[in-house]
Amino acid sequence: MYWIIQFIIRHKDVSSLFLTVFLSLLMLTANTGRQQKIARSLTVSIFYPFQFTAHQATRIKNIFAENKKLKEEITNLSTKYALLEEVAAENKRLRGLLGFEKKISYTLLPARAVVREPSYIYRSIVISIGKKQGVSKYMPVVNKDGVIGKITQVMQNISLVQLVRDPSERISVMIKKNHEVGILETIDSKNFFVQYRKHAEVNNGDTIVTSGLGGIYPKGLNVGIVTGIKDSDDPLFKDVSIKPCVDFEHIEEVFVMQLDPQWAAFLSELDSINIE
Amino acid sequence: MGETILKWLAAFIVCLILQTTLIPSIAIFSIQPDLIIMVFAFMCMRHGVMPGIFIGFFLGLSLDLYSPSMLGQNALAKTVIGFFLGFFNEKVMRTDTIMKIIILLISFFIHDIIFFGAELIKNGSSIIPLIPDLFTRTLPRAVYTIIVTFIVILWNTTIKPNLKR
Repeated sequence: MYWIIQFIIRHKDVSSLFLTVFLSLLMLTANTGRQQKIARSLTVSIFYPFQFTAHQATRIKNIFAENKKLKEEITNLSTKYALLEEVAAENKRLRGLLGFEKKISYTLLPARAVVREPSYIYRSIVISIGKKQGVSKYMPVVNKDGVIGKITQVMQNISLVQLVRDPSERISVMIKKNHEVGILETIDSKNFFVQYRKHAEVNNGDTIVTSGLGGIYPKGLNVGIVTGIKDSDDPLFKDVSIKPCVDFEHIEEVFVMQLDPQWAAFLSELDSINIE
Repeated sequence: MGETILKWLAAFIVCLILQTTLIPSIAIFSIQPDLIIMVFAFMCMRHGVMPGIFIGFFLGLSLDLYSPSMLGQNALAKTVIGFFLGFFNEKVMRTDTIMKIIILLISFFIHDIIFFGAELIKNGSSIIPLIPDLFTRTLPRAVYTIIVTFIVILWNTTIKPNLKR
């Protein structure tokens, strides 16, 4: 024991390096638990006021141009909305005639991305709404282009969004034209791919949307476009490369879909499994 | 001692805030300077290996707290570059500006090899795609950071003293 202490004192630089590297590796290989969640909540809450202030300062310079652009957009959207209302009424009437069940309804909660993960490939963002505004865990987050991610932590006035480009996030998707289902994955937060069966009909330029099978994202949200198809290592499958619709580098305004996951009834059981 | 710690702590908090708010607006083709590594490198060269390791670890850990799935990734990368940069302690070894730039460049490569290597290994994939990324992501980021560093050094050594006069 004595000589171990002597060794550590004599080589304190190397010993410290080993200790910190060991702790880092231990954390890298550990599961996400309650301690991590509390630590993250604390960090986000501590840094949030400073970052929010700085963020507001940068926004002011663009506010006039943004205001003008938004007015134009409102005019365009009001026209489209009026048309859509008419179509929706017609759709409702026809559905009633055919005896279709009611589609899932949800409210969109507007929010701003106020903090990005400080890493230069960020996989999470903090948005400006939380529990008080009606956000809860696992709600999908979208913008005008498509799916951004899902809520993973909710605090009083802010929430943490895990982006689709996080390698641990996998989404059930399908090809819009023929409803061929697959799982969207990424291993480097840059290249996205879906594995399809060899004979599945997929072409470059096909639109990929959410399938609604994962339980979190409702069916039909834009995810990406097929940009390449190549043979997989597995002879039964082919790898389909996807370019996401969302520009993850410039996320500003987002919408939280106030929608409980389909497995909401089992949420507490699932969370307890995760903690263990 | 306490004053030094507070000074560096304040510097890191300011960098962290700038990195997440203002810096994305000066990105060129999604390449941003990394203020955190820049200030961390200055700190390690000023104070040596031991502060480099521990501040690198805690700084990395605080950055990791933002990421939902890879806790420890930044801590590991920043600890190792803290160890590396600490060897070039100004009290032990005199280094000129060119040498500092080369050291900073190497630190970026070490950082990104560990950072992305850890992610790829954890996801069970090959680390070969990392090699082109070092030239398309790391090198431009390092060069951009070095340009910013150079401006900061120039401001501190030339412009600021002249303004005071």
